[in-house]
Amino acid sequence: MKSKFMNQVHYTLMILPGFVWLILFSIVPMVGIVMAFQDYNPGLGYWQSEWIGLENFKYLFSMSDAWQVMKNTIIIATSKMILNLIVPLTFAILLNEIKSVKYKKVVQTIVYLPHFLSWVILASIIINIFGYNGVVNTVAGVFGAEPRVWMQESSIFRQLVIGTDVWKEFGYNAVIYLAALTGINPNLYEAAAIDGAGRWKSIWHITIPGLIPTIVLLGVLGLGSVLNAGFDQVFNLYNKIVYSTGDILDTWVYRMGLIDLQFSLATTAGLLKSGVSFILIIISYVTAYKVANYRVF
Amino acid sequence: MKNVKKLAALSLSLVMLFSSLAGCGDGKGKESTASKAEESKVSSKVEESKSEVSTSKTEETSSGDDLAFKKFDEPVDVHIGMSVSPIDTTLPAGDSAQDNQYTRYLRDNYNINVIVDWTAAEGNDYNQKVSLAIASDTLPDGLVANEQSYLRKAAKSNMLMDITDLFDQYASEQVKGIVDSTDGRAIESVSFDGKMQGLPNVTVDTDGVHILNIRKDWLDEYSLEVPKTLDDVENIAKVFKEKKPAGDQTIPLSGPDKNERLYCTFLESSNNAHGLDPVFSAYDVYPGYWLQDDKGEVVYGSTDEKMKPALERLAKWYAEGYIDPEMGTRDSSGEAVNANQVGMFFGPWWSLGYGNGDSFKNDPTANWQTYPIFSDDGKWNVHMKSVGTSSTMISKNASEDVAAAIIIMYNALVRDEGVFDTSVAIGWYPLRTVAAAADEVEHESQELTRVLNGEADPEEFNDPMSIYKLLYQDATKVRNVVTGYTKDRELAVTDFSMENEGDFKRMYAILIGNRPYATTEVDKKVYSLTYSMTETMERKWANLKKLEDETMLKIITGQEDISAFDTFVSNWHAQGGDEILAEVAGLN
Repeated sequence: MKSKFMNQVHYTLMILPGFVWLILFSIVPMVGIVMAFQDYNPGLGYWQSEWIGLENFKYLFSMSDAWQVMKNTIIIATSKMILNLIVPLTFAILLNEIKSVKYKKVVQTIVYLPHFLSWVILASIIINIFGYNGVVNTVAGVFGAEPRVWMQESSIFRQLVIGTDVWKEFGYNAVIYLAALTGINPNLYEAAAIDGAGRWKSIWHITIPGLIPTIVLLGVLGLGSVLNAGFDQVFNLYNKIVYSTGDILDTWVYRMGLIDLQFSLATTAGLLKSGVSFILIIISYVTAYKVANYRVF
Repeated sequence: MKNVKKLAALSLSLVMLFSSLAGCGDGKGKESTASKAEESKVSSKVEESKSEVSTSKTEETSSGDDLAFKKFDEPVDVHIGMSVSPIDTTLPAGDSAQDNQYTRYLRDNYNINVIVDWTAAEGNDYNQKVSLAIASDTLPDGLVANEQSYLRKAAKSNMLMDITDLFDQYASEQVKGIVDSTDGRAIESVSFDGKMQGLPNVTVDTDGVHILNIRKDWLDEYSLEVPKTLDDVENIAKVFKEKKPAGDQTIPLSGPDKNERLYCTFLESSNNAHGLDPVFSAYDVYPGYWLQDDKGEVVYGSTDEKMKPALERLAKWYAEGYIDPEMGTRDSSGEAVNANQVGMFFGPWWSLGYGNGDSFKNDPTANWQTYPIFSDDGKWNVHMKSVGTSSTMISKNASEDVAAAIIIMYNALVRDEGVFDTSVAIGWYPLRTVAAAADEVEHESQELTRVLNGEADPEEFNDPMSIYKLLYQDATKVRNVVTGYTKDRELAVTDFSMENEGDFKRMYAILIGNRPYATTEVDKKVYSLTYSMTETMERKWANLKKLEDETMLKIITGQEDISAFDTFVSNWHAQGGDEILAEVAGLN
């Protein structure tokens, strides 16, 4: 046993930083959850603040705002989840059909790049592109369209958030599919070609079935983030005018907690989010095991 | 062979470990490199640091102020958090937040050793940091709260020192004079449960008076008259829109950017550059203020029926392209002003000079002027501000000496601000909380004009304990700054020398920016019934404010029509407004 541990000591060391990070930023702060059940007074701390039970939850649910925010979160997050499956998949399959290796690599690298930009930078670029004097309006102007300030329109804000996120991430997300594609036995394609199957047929009958386990796995694992609509992105893109469609749980919690100093209420909303996410993660884990035979433990 | 491989794997993983650990500490590393970069940026532009602040003043103090300006026998360490301007270019090379002319002045004269525990970019970043310091109960000895809500939270959480007696003991006569001039409102604004828990910010009244800033040179170019009413503003905007004096990017009238406010509110009742306050005032409606109607009932200004015509007018202006189309989403309206794309914007007195310094750098002939906007029947209505919104909080864990030191710093700023070398921004003064006589700017503009006219001698104002703390210094400088002065002619930008940037900005703000308030009678001054939160507001205000901000902006930008206003009013009352109205009514 000991020798096995010594043999693997470098693997263990590799886990260490992640583990330290997890403890510092995810386990230790859990103590703060008690704030959700208290009228938290930072001067008194966790132990002496007044205990008010579920009062914060009751108040949270009584706010019309909370429901709107929840709705926005779910719409944005689920759309992102679904599109972040379909778009990269389509892209990977199409890219896989390209014969020129060089061209393939170039395309792959270019679409991969936005993933590495932080939303802080990207958001100001996007705000400019969709701004009054931005590229979009200039191009639309050529076709006679009136200039609009896209970022101000609450009716399209969600679409913008979802669209830009998919654009940013599809290159990165496609990598997994491209890897899975290389795992499909080339003999199958040869056999299909001999049987007279065209490209469409072989994609339909070989490529897609070959990718199903990966698709299911990614889809199911994504369930856990149904309430994660992307704080970085929304926070940097939104403004007061689009609160009705753009405000998500995380931005709401941020404003409640750090701007309006309602620490308890913000914790309550955060805890609620974590609770729901936890249940979804369990469901996704069980499903992943049943459907794709994927398991951690 | 196997061993070598193992060794290699081990060392590789170690490298990865350390490099990722280095990644963990990145936050701090980044901060320090960022601040270094800032410093070097700062240094590149600054002229040579001028002579140290004169210290001779210290001896002239009257005997009653012995404690107010005492020099400690042993150095006293004062730990603070500090808000710094990321775009400041005035700090000399080698200086920092912790070591600059102001901290050296404090060390040399009072033996106060300022230690900056952390810095954050002014505005949202700083406020967030203050909020975290409160949430985690880690307030440094002294910290400036930019808004009353932070002071309130810290006080209610029992984190602050009761300085009622200390203030009495240590505050200088000058500070007491200023504080007393507010009829107790200054002390009230920092007192909770009868205990004074912060050093009050007393700002000039004119910080809350919003006027129209306009490019007079553009007006002249199209032979337009100086505007008086909203109709005039509309006509001018129309011309600016058509003629595009700044090219395709011309913005006839600027609006609030994504971090600014549409109008002042009872919580933030002053200093709203790029807001649209004067438009509402011209309709005799005061959104964001708690008022008493004709029947004596308490009402909230934003729910007043008179909001409708004002909003409809703004919506029309927006639709016509008179107001910045990117209002509410723009990153910085100030930048557009500085880039000289803007023809008009509303703001307080300092919007010109202090507020738009770069505009003059980019175009030294940009002749910005200010005018009050009157209602259609010729009245100038002004909503008035609270005493001041910020304050210096003193942690209850600080020692008495430290607390005394912080009060001394506050005294010293009031007395000696005039003798500092103003080419280094005064924002670098640690724990800067301004205490100024309410009419300071008007008084100055009056006296400075007398100096310019040759009717007064600067030496007349040589009184270090005067509550008009900067007057003497300004009086000695004014002739050098306003070189082209001619009596009875409106000052123009070309009359000023821009040689000393700090002096230029100040004189421009005082003599042009504050001209309306100094020379025009206000017909109606409107005060809010309260300038702080009630119990229910602490919970429900965030929600109501969000509702209000969103509705008003949507109506103006044309995403919703005016009927949304009625929906807003009924929602506002239902979602806690009625409860709060009752509380506000109970205050008096």
